[in-house]
Amino acid sequence: METLVELRGIVKKFPGVLANDRVDFELRRGEVHALLGENGAGKTTLMNILYGLYRPDEGEIYIRGRRVELRSPRDAISLGIGMVHQNFKLVESHTVLENIILGLRENGLRIDFESHRRRITELAERYGWRIDPMARIWQLSAGEKQQVELLKILYRGAEILILDEPTSVLTVQETRRLFEALRRMAAEGKGVIFITHKLNEVMEVSDRVTVMRKGKVIITKDTRETTKMELANYMIGRQVIFGRREASSKPGAVVLKILDLKVLGDRGYPAVNGVSLEVRSGEILGVAGVSGNGQVELAEAIAGLRKPMAGRILLNGVDATGMDAGKMIELGVAYIPPEGNKLGIVPEFRIVDNLFLKAYRYPPYSNKILLNWRRMLGKARELIEEFGVVTPSVFSKAKSLSGGNIQRLILARELSGIVGGAPRLIVAAYPTKGLDVGATEFVHDLLMRYKEMGSGIIFISEDLEELLLLSDRIAVMSGGRIRGVLAREEADAEKIGLLMSEAAIQAG
Amino acid sequence: MPFTLETRLGRIRVERRVGYGRLYSISMTLLSLAIALLVAGLILASLGLDPVAAFQVIFGVFMKPSLLLESIKQSIPICLAALGLSIAFKMNFWNIGAEGQLYMGMIASTGIVLLHSYYGLFNEWAIMPLMLLASFLLGGAWCLIAGALKARLGVNEILPTLMLNYVAMLVVEFLVHGPWRDPKGYGFPLSIPFPDYAKLNFVFGEPAYTGLLLSVLGAAAVFLLLEYTKPGFEIKVVGQSPAVARYAGIRVRRTILLGSFLSGGLAGIGGLSIVSGIIGRLRPGASPGYGYTAIMVAALAGLNPWVVIVASIFFGGLLTAGGALQMSMGIPRAAAQMIQAIIFLMILVGEFIKRYKIVLEKPGVSGS
Amino acid sequence: MTVQVGTVYLLASLGEIYAERSGILNLGLEGIMVMGAAISFIFTLAYGHLAAILASIIVGILMSLILAVMAIYMRLNQTVTGLALTMFGLGLSGFLASPEIRRIILLALNPSLPERLLAIQEAPKLPEIPVPGLSEIPVIGCFFRQNVLVYISYMAAPLMWFILFKTKPGLSLRSVGENPAAADAMGINVFKLRCAATMISGGFAGLAGAYLFLGFQPFWQEGLTAGKGFIALSLVILSTWNPLKAILGAYLFGGVEVIQYRLQLFGLGALSPYLLAMLPYLIAIAALIAVSIESVRKRIGVPASLGIPYSREE
Repeated sequence: METLVELRGIVKKFPGVLANDRVDFELRRGEVHALLGENGAGKTTLMNILYGLYRPDEGEIYIRGRRVELRSPRDAISLGIGMVHQNFKLVESHTVLENIILGLRENGLRIDFESHRRRITELAERYGWRIDPMARIWQLSAGEKQQVELLKILYRGAEILILDEPTSVLTVQETRRLFEALRRMAAEGKGVIFITHKLNEVMEVSDRVTVMRKGKVIITKDTRETTKMELANYMIGRQVIFGRREASSKPGAVVLKILDLKVLGDRGYPAVNGVSLEVRSGEILGVAGVSGNGQVELAEAIAGLRKPMAGRILLNGVDATGMDAGKMIELGVAYIPPEGNKLGIVPEFRIVDNLFLKAYRYPPYSNKILLNWRRMLGKARELIEEFGVVTPSVFSKAKSLSGGNIQRLILARELSGIVGGAPRLIVAAYPTKGLDVGATEFVHDLLMRYKEMGSGIIFISEDLEELLLLSDRIAVMSGGRIRGVLAREEADAEKIGLLMSEAAIQAG
Repeated sequence: MPFTLETRLGRIRVERRVGYGRLYSISMTLLSLAIALLVAGLILASLGLDPVAAFQVIFGVFMKPSLLLESIKQSIPICLAALGLSIAFKMNFWNIGAEGQLYMGMIASTGIVLLHSYYGLFNEWAIMPLMLLASFLLGGAWCLIAGALKARLGVNEILPTLMLNYVAMLVVEFLVHGPWRDPKGYGFPLSIPFPDYAKLNFVFGEPAYTGLLLSVLGAAAVFLLLEYTKPGFEIKVVGQSPAVARYAGIRVRRTILLGSFLSGGLAGIGGLSIVSGIIGRLRPGASPGYGYTAIMVAALAGLNPWVVIVASIFFGGLLTAGGALQMSMGIPRAAAQMIQAIIFLMILVGEFIKRYKIVLEKPGVSGS
Repeated sequence: MTVQVGTVYLLASLGEIYAERSGILNLGLEGIMVMGAAISFIFTLAYGHLAAILASIIVGILMSLILAVMAIYMRLNQTVTGLALTMFGLGLSGFLASPEIRRIILLALNPSLPERLLAIQEAPKLPEIPVPGLSEIPVIGCFFRQNVLVYISYMAAPLMWFILFKTKPGLSLRSVGENPAAADAMGINVFKLRCAATMISGGFAGLAGAYLFLGFQPFWQEGLTAGKGFIALSLVILSTWNPLKAILGAYLFGGVEVIQYRLQLFGLGALSPYLLAMLPYLIAIAALIAVSIESVRKRIGVPASLGIPYSREE
């Protein structure tokens, strides 16, 4: 089989990080090639180099056997390379058609809308997609947006397709349809590179797999000749123990009670559509589901960041519906937001400022007007010690911290109870997303510890493994509703998947 | 990384500097200043004017005591307005309306003086405190208009604050052409001259010293506010990210209202310093753009209240030099304004050079 | 009259629409306009109208290039940089067009200029060229008894609308202002395109300044734009970044100014002229409020990346 892409000895350094360390990689015509590795293993960097977004510090790139120099995506596109990024690169306010033809170099300056529309519809039908070229991107679901991204590439006749974590935003059904389309593309003689950290998907769709760890390629194998367990060991570099955590505590009184809650999303229609839930003290309630199904809006409503349009939120029996974030904090709600590096900290502020982002306004750290920096500094030093935030000093800027340390800082602020005792309710939205194994374990340990101390915890995650590991009960969320709540004894991946897809069938 | 340039000699890359010291920062600023003066000199020279002589006049301003005193006097409204702007800019509230807020401060101060001299409502000793209060309130209210529009309706503040500058100037025109015209002023558009008790000359009988005291007090207040108080902390969080501020339980709207009010209020006191310290009455065009100069001063001082004092004296000196240039060399006053702007542009470029370094890579180093 | 005043706003806002659509807020508009006016003043005296118009366009482009380099390549704050440019324009125009300096420049440009022209504060106005036939139609005939720059603005607005919404460069330009990363990923040079859009806004602002002086009030005074550049900036928002809607907005503001003059003439002496002069500014604020309320209701909005510098690896 013809080799489409060959990368030899690629090295890419970022300040303080060796992202790619003499990486070799090969893609053949007609194959789906999985690129497997943990977050931060250097997969995306490698592919950004192949797409001309980054320039390698060392190494050579061969496309169809010819050595090439990729200065920009334009070079890559003209060589038939296309990439679907993890965060879609679409212009939300433009139409599907405008996004697809963006940057096309054809004769004439004028856009021939009619002929483009026809050709796009034809192309989409070939892969079993139904999509209106005149629809605006913001009106589309995540799955449809991904189809637009693929159409963008295919419309340019690309043969080398790179997909970066394509399934993270998809439902089970959408994932299945994507895999079918990818298989068809491979059958047409294209080469597909599929970046992922999910072992199941590697086994399901790929012909070959390359495993990366800490910037290096560990191995490349035929998928048929390997197993999930073996791949997991290559990926993490040590034996992985899949086991449940047992806790001694018993759930206590009801901390949070939500009744028929409806919350408006950013697009102006209900993202949470009639949710009722109960969380007891000393209990972890897992919330499973594909992201973008109302989980964040639910969390934000509980944290006081979104006003519910209907329904009630009771905290320890007190009606807290519609209270603002400040009030919720005072009622003992801790919120670990998704994408902590954006919403959870002020990057330009010092660590001490970030630790006291909420507590600064309560005694003993301030009186009516003045701040007491001496107290705050003292407490901040204790906290970075206790939560293991690695930093030269509390005066360093938060932006100088690594992702794992940022999450530790957020946890220190939210959980340490500097406002007044351990939090009654902890809402953790994707707290381990993007973290390495060590930092993930730290977060898990911490949540377990607070559970035993009697906090009620809502734990939102996409990762079934960790949900099964930590939760006492698991609520399955999709389309803004709770599709079922499973006790830990009866919960397993299949049942959860079934609840998600039943909902999808009902909705679709 | 902003950009990479491919040339035949190699790759020119611009890289972010990881960290830099204070000394480096100051020397870069001084270098930028020197380059700005060089550019200004070239413009003058290309028109056949003697740049050396011009710079002698400009720097002479800072040497001669009487002119230095004049510069300090000129710096006071700039400094107070820039201090107010520092608060607003920390909040990421682009108040471009210091000029208008200065005018509102002048109107408030003059109003108090007129109330006293027409109706004798107050005791003489109460006039100055009342003027301070009134100018603070009216200047603050003027800025609060834009603040409220932003907080309530999400209107970006840049254009409203700008528009209100023109409105404020026209209010002054209206007043001094109409109801507030000095009956003994031969029909000129001027208010009555301020009596002594309404003038800023408590310290050594000299407005420059009194004003300098005002500037220092203002700087101390702003410094305390931003570093040691709860509202100050809230202003800074809102400035960094309103979303994070909301998450932290800070009332963003209330903070914007408070911050914009304080910002305008300080400029309002700056307006008082113009009518009570520099001119001694209200007239149209009383501010030759102090409010705009204040934007440069606040930006160049990096929003540091103490540096604001120094920077405003420098810019006050340039204004004074404008007059001196016209007198001694026949160079129009606008030259000073032009030089100010060139300095501003160059120091902004200096900021870029501080943050980044330019790296030239020889071909063959990479990709081999 | 309405058209005559409105053309100032139309020309300035057309260019600014392109800059803002590409993600660059050109707050230097006011400064570039006043420079355009000053340059057209000097060049008209030295070489006549055509040279004056061309020179003001070139100067506008050069000034916007300062903004482009600082805001796009150096990624400095666009608000601050734009204001700096406005202050620079106001200072430099006042300096260059002041009697002393103007005399030096005029003699350098054209040594044979008579003494009379070295000292005057005004310049010949652009002639009006009635379009045969059309100009005789009642009511709308006034649209066709204008000078050449007004006719250019008539043609420019629809043309710029067509380029923006119906051609590939227009699509690229809009994408760069909405989501530069998406455009970059499709091989569009974000930096160059933004730079070009900024230069277009500079050229139009220079032209608007030339028109303001030559076509409307050919009498020099320092800072004669009096905030017209800033009003044009609000107009861009009012037009929701659409060149065709900018025509309506421009004539609306033109109309407001005309009403203000008329009210003064018809002896509404009770209303002070100074209070009437506030109208354009107050209406600009009102327009901003209206658009702001409207944009929450509908999904028309600011170009999503307006004011945000782009870089690839950060």
